[in-house]
Amino acid sequence: MKKKALRKDFFMEIRRSLGRFLSIFFIVAIGCAFFSGIRASEPDMRYSGDAYFDEKNMMDIQVISTLGLTDDDIAAIKEVDGISDAEGGYSVDALCTEGENQIVVHVMSLLPSMNQVQLEEGRLPETENECAMDVDFLNESSLEIGDTITFSSGTGDEITDTLTTDTFTITGAVSSPAYIAFQRGSTTIGNGTVSAFVCVPEESFTLDVYTEIYAQAEGAKNLTAFTDEYDNRVSEVIDNVEAISADREKARYDEIMADAETEIEDGRQQLADAQTELEEGKAEAEQELADARQKLEDAQAELDSGKSELESSITELQNFRQQLNDSQAQVDSGQEELNANIDSLNAQIDQLNAVKEQYNALASSGQTDDVTMATLRAMYEEIQKGETAIADAQAQIESAKAELESAQAQINSGWEQITSGEQQIADAQAEITSGEQEIADGWEEYYDGEAEAQAEIADGEQQIADAQADLADAEARLADMEEPVWYVYDRSNLPEYTGYGDNADRMRAIGEVFPVIFFLVAALISLTTMTRMVEEQRTQIGTLKALGYERHSIAGKYLGYALLATVAGSVIGFLIGEKIFPYIIITAYGIMYQHMHTIQLPYNFQYGLGAAAASLVCTLAATFMACSSELKAQAAELMRPPAPKHGQRVLLERIPFVWKRLNFSWKASVRNLVRYKKRLFMTVFGIGGCMALMLVGFGIKDSIFAIVERQYDEIQLYDGNVILNDSASQEERDQVFADLQEYDNVTDSAEGLLTQISVGTGDGWYDVYLSVPEDVEQFSNFTVLKDRITDERYELTDEGAVLTEKMAKELGVKPGDTITIRDEDKGDLNVQISAVCENYMGHYLYMTPALYESVYGGEPEYNSVLYKVPDRTSAEAEKVGEDILKLEGALSVSYTTDLVDQVNDMLSALDAVIVVLIISAGMLAFVVLYNLNNINITERQRELATLKVLGFYNGEVSAYVYRENIVLTLIGALFGMVLGKILHQFIIVTVEIDSVMFGRNINAVSFLYGFLLTILFSCLVNGAMYFKLKRINMVESLKSVE
Amino acid sequence: MDEFVKLDDITKIYRMGEVEIRAADRISFAISKGEFVVIVGPSGAGKTTVLNILGGMDTATSGKLIVDGQDVTAYNARQLTGYRREDIGFVFQFYNLVPNLTALENVELALQICRNPLDAKEVLEEVGLGDRLDNFPAQLSGGEQQRVSIARALAKNPKLLLCDEPTGALDYNTGKAILKLLQNMCRERGMTVIVITHNQAIAPMADRLIHIKNGRVSHMEVNRHPISIDEIEW
Repeated sequence: MKKKALRKDFFMEIRRSLGRFLSIFFIVAIGCAFFSGIRASEPDMRYSGDAYFDEKNMMDIQVISTLGLTDDDIAAIKEVDGISDAEGGYSVDALCTEGENQIVVHVMSLLPSMNQVQLEEGRLPETENECAMDVDFLNESSLEIGDTITFSSGTGDEITDTLTTDTFTITGAVSSPAYIAFQRGSTTIGNGTVSAFVCVPEESFTLDVYTEIYAQAEGAKNLTAFTDEYDNRVSEVIDNVEAISADREKARYDEIMADAETEIEDGRQQLADAQTELEEGKAEAEQELADARQKLEDAQAELDSGKSELESSITELQNFRQQLNDSQAQVDSGQEELNANIDSLNAQIDQLNAVKEQYNALASSGQTDDVTMATLRAMYEEIQKGETAIADAQAQIESAKAELESAQAQINSGWEQITSGEQQIADAQAEITSGEQEIADGWEEYYDGEAEAQAEIADGEQQIADAQADLADAEARLADMEEPVWYVYDRSNLPEYTGYGDNADRMRAIGEVFPVIFFLVAALISLTTMTRMVEEQRTQIGTLKALGYERHSIAGKYLGYALLATVAGSVIGFLIGEKIFPYIIITAYGIMYQHMHTIQLPYNFQYGLGAAAASLVCTLAATFMACSSELKAQAAELMRPPAPKHGQRVLLERIPFVWKRLNFSWKASVRNLVRYKKRLFMTVFGIGGCMALMLVGFGIKDSIFAIVERQYDEIQLYDGNVILNDSASQEERDQVFADLQEYDNVTDSAEGLLTQISVGTGDGWYDVYLSVPEDVEQFSNFTVLKDRITDERYELTDEGAVLTEKMAKELGVKPGDTITIRDEDKGDLNVQISAVCENYMGHYLYMTPALYESVYGGEPEYNSVLYKVPDRTSAEAEKVGEDILKLEGALSVSYTTDLVDQVNDMLSALDAVIVVLIISAGMLAFVVLYNLNNINITERQRELATLKVLGFYNGEVSAYVYRENIVLTLIGALFGMVLGKILHQFIIVTVEIDSVMFGRNINAVSFLYGFLLTILFSCLVNGAMYFKLKRINMVESLKSVE
Repeated sequence: MDEFVKLDDITKIYRMGEVEIRAADRISFAISKGEFVVIVGPSGAGKTTVLNILGGMDTATSGKLIVDGQDVTAYNARQLTGYRREDIGFVFQFYNLVPNLTALENVELALQICRNPLDAKEVLEEVGLGDRLDNFPAQLSGGEQQRVSIARALAKNPKLLLCDEPTGALDYNTGKAILKLLQNMCRERGMTVIVITHNQAIAPMADRLIHIKNGRVSHMEVNRHPISIDEIEW
């Protein structure tokens, strides 16, 4: 622009119409911000995820072997082409108790450099009885840092076979890059679901082989995770690792075999030693027992002789006692005799005394007569004689008395002897009794000893038998032992790792649709604005033309104006949008991925450039078209007022029945609507876009929620699915079904076959679950087969199989078509599809047992049991699952309610995205309506001013304008409903991940909310417009037509 | 003389920053009922300001306007709208028809807000458009459009018919026809008509002629014998 005046005019124009300039600037900025921002969210999510994994030095490849891995394996993997590093780690699933619950935890060793955990609280474990706990779990459980937890293995083995101790102190809370979201994976113990992970130092494991090896691929770190480049690089390296796996498997097998054989040999040696020892011990014990018996018998003999001696002593004593009694009797009779003698003596004495008295009396009588004297003499003699006799008798008595006394003394000493003898006997008897007791004790001891020795011997024999059995067992096992198998996984084996990528994909799908609408509207708005500007400046264009300016100089002003506004808007929009939108969205996903704090928001120039280029093309093309039509006209023509626009009859007028009934305000409105087609189109599109965006926002939620509602309440009526253990015996497996039938809290259960198969129609093979119920009649109690749209129920028949909807669509098959099942053993098998049924989670192919037999040529082997619980709560179902898993025949349990958790996770993240969508939609509606109304009012300012002059009240003038707006809003909302429904269909299909079908529905209430919000936005804008209408100056009506 | 319309010291001052512009400076005049009044003056003399105030489209800074005994200057915005609605008929220089409505509908547009309107069809027949009732403005010539505009104003049966340069956008003959129509309406219906124009030539047809210059009434004359427009040429 060389022309100075024109240049000045250009800048003056911008200053004067700053409002218009800014409105283009902002609408372009918002459009570009939304477009590039939402689009950039997808790569930014991948960058952020990748940055997080790089920061944690995340492994790329995980190798697991059925028989453990050795240092040699690590060395071998390190040698593999494309591997930059490899480390071994240990892990084990264990049970532990938290509050009332028994939960399963995944105990893993802290790796030296890879998969670094993030310490959230406390400190990392340092000694072998310390551990760090999953922070998500710790926050919700009753456990705290400093508490101890005790693990048990949940299998027949001891946990201490694997860990050095079973009790650990929690020293800290950590998050791990291996568990980015809420899921912790599944297990074969407990209730089948891992609730938390626990990190312990390497030393806490007593295993002599690693349970897994983690490796990193060269160059993978520089690639962005969740992209094809990364996946391809890792899968290349995985191929290389798999190439060496056969050798390593063989090496490990040989090593184990060699070790085992040595061990068995040792065992045999030990067994032989033990046997010898046992024999020796047996002999020794027998000898000892024999000695003991001999001793006891001797003691008994001695005791017996002592006893007989005692008997004879007692007899002797008895005789002696008899003798004494006899002597006593003799003494007593002697005494009696003596007493009698004494009596007779006394009588003699008395006689003598009487004689004496007679004598004395005679003597005293003085008579000396002989007679008397003789008598006296005689008497005297007699007395003398009598006295001598008495003295003799007395002497005799005295001697008898002495004799008696000595005899008595002899007897008394005899009694004393007896008493002492008796004492001796009593002592001897006591001695004998104690001797007998001693002997009895001795026997008891003997028998005890004997029993003990026998028990010990039996025990020893048992041990030897056991050892022999073990040895035989070990030999048998060794003979049976298969070569180990290596499983080489990439990161997708980690729980929810792929979910993050899926979410990024979902974001891309959203980014492909939503911003486009936004952008389209923005482009249309700037188009209208520029057209209006050119139209307004008709006279000026004419003047410049008349003055002789070339067309390009005149057009240059408008093109420059649009260019400046658009470029500035694009740049600002790009700069702000690419930071704000990805930030909001990644932060929103942070609800799900709580520990992925790393946010990377690099500028993705391709989106910004795309958006800027597209908006430039739109506005410039619009401006150019508007200019060119004006520029083609003659200068004179331009300076005259434009011919009034033709009023025209509308279609409605041809229906007098309706037309007559309209008052002419309505007639005018209807004609206006038709006349301003551009405005009609723009407003309907703008409002429709707004309505559609909100509808899609609400609809996505409805559809995701429908998975739960429909799948759980209408289709999948069971609550748990027990997978039976292949390696358990038939009885054990039957036990599971029997137990479930008996179980109080299980209302119904059914056996079936559930196995993953590969199906296709020729090109491409897909994994689906083949489900064959044992009891076809009962099957509808567990799974409802029906059409999604017509609700028609299907029965399983022997004629054909029923396939779930999403897979049917993927394969492009209809009822009546035939699909191929690719079986590893039996080759390709064909089966006819009899119906396609509604299903949301996973893919299933249902068959009757008879059909299975005709397809596979053999009876199905039932490997799963479905069960229902009364209240359908997860707690009930899990309780049953926990009990059932204790049975040998049950391998794992999956719960229908897991689905609910998964869906809720999805929803929590989407909520924020939906709020962003709704706010954006509101902004869009506001900007569009405001802009269009503004243009409308400016364009019709004269008409409105005239109405005012004619005496229309402000309210009436507003009503005149609003009537059109209301109609447009309603039409727009209706259009939006249709558009939203179509968009929703599109988005739902695109955001779906492979194994899930989202609902195809939008709830009526969502339509209502979307509609009300649209009306609300429309009311707000119209409210703001009222003031603008009120300000219209009536003097405008006097001005000439522009 | 009855003072059907009376302006008393009407002053209108526009403030543009520091500058005060007196668009109308103590304008006073009175008009009797049924008169055909022509207000003339050069561009920028203050004619339009007077018209705006008379038509209730603007308020005076000071002074008083009495119409049919009512003090219009004391009206608030709503009363002013009512005044425009009931008492004033307005004929615009550029007709200001609603392009989307037919001739008949354009007239009806004014009538639907009015208390005792005339029949739209009859009025249109009266202005000579009986056969163009269903035509849109774009299908009518300038003169015809102006007739619709006059019909729209008349049909309201106003107390005062205000015409702002009614012939300004019309050719000579059409202009004359329109003025004739206005004069006839005044004579036949006894309508008070005020025509604002810069065209001095039509002055003789007025009952009352008011000259405005620099915001003041320079002079006013009453024409006892107004002549028919047919006799005027310019």
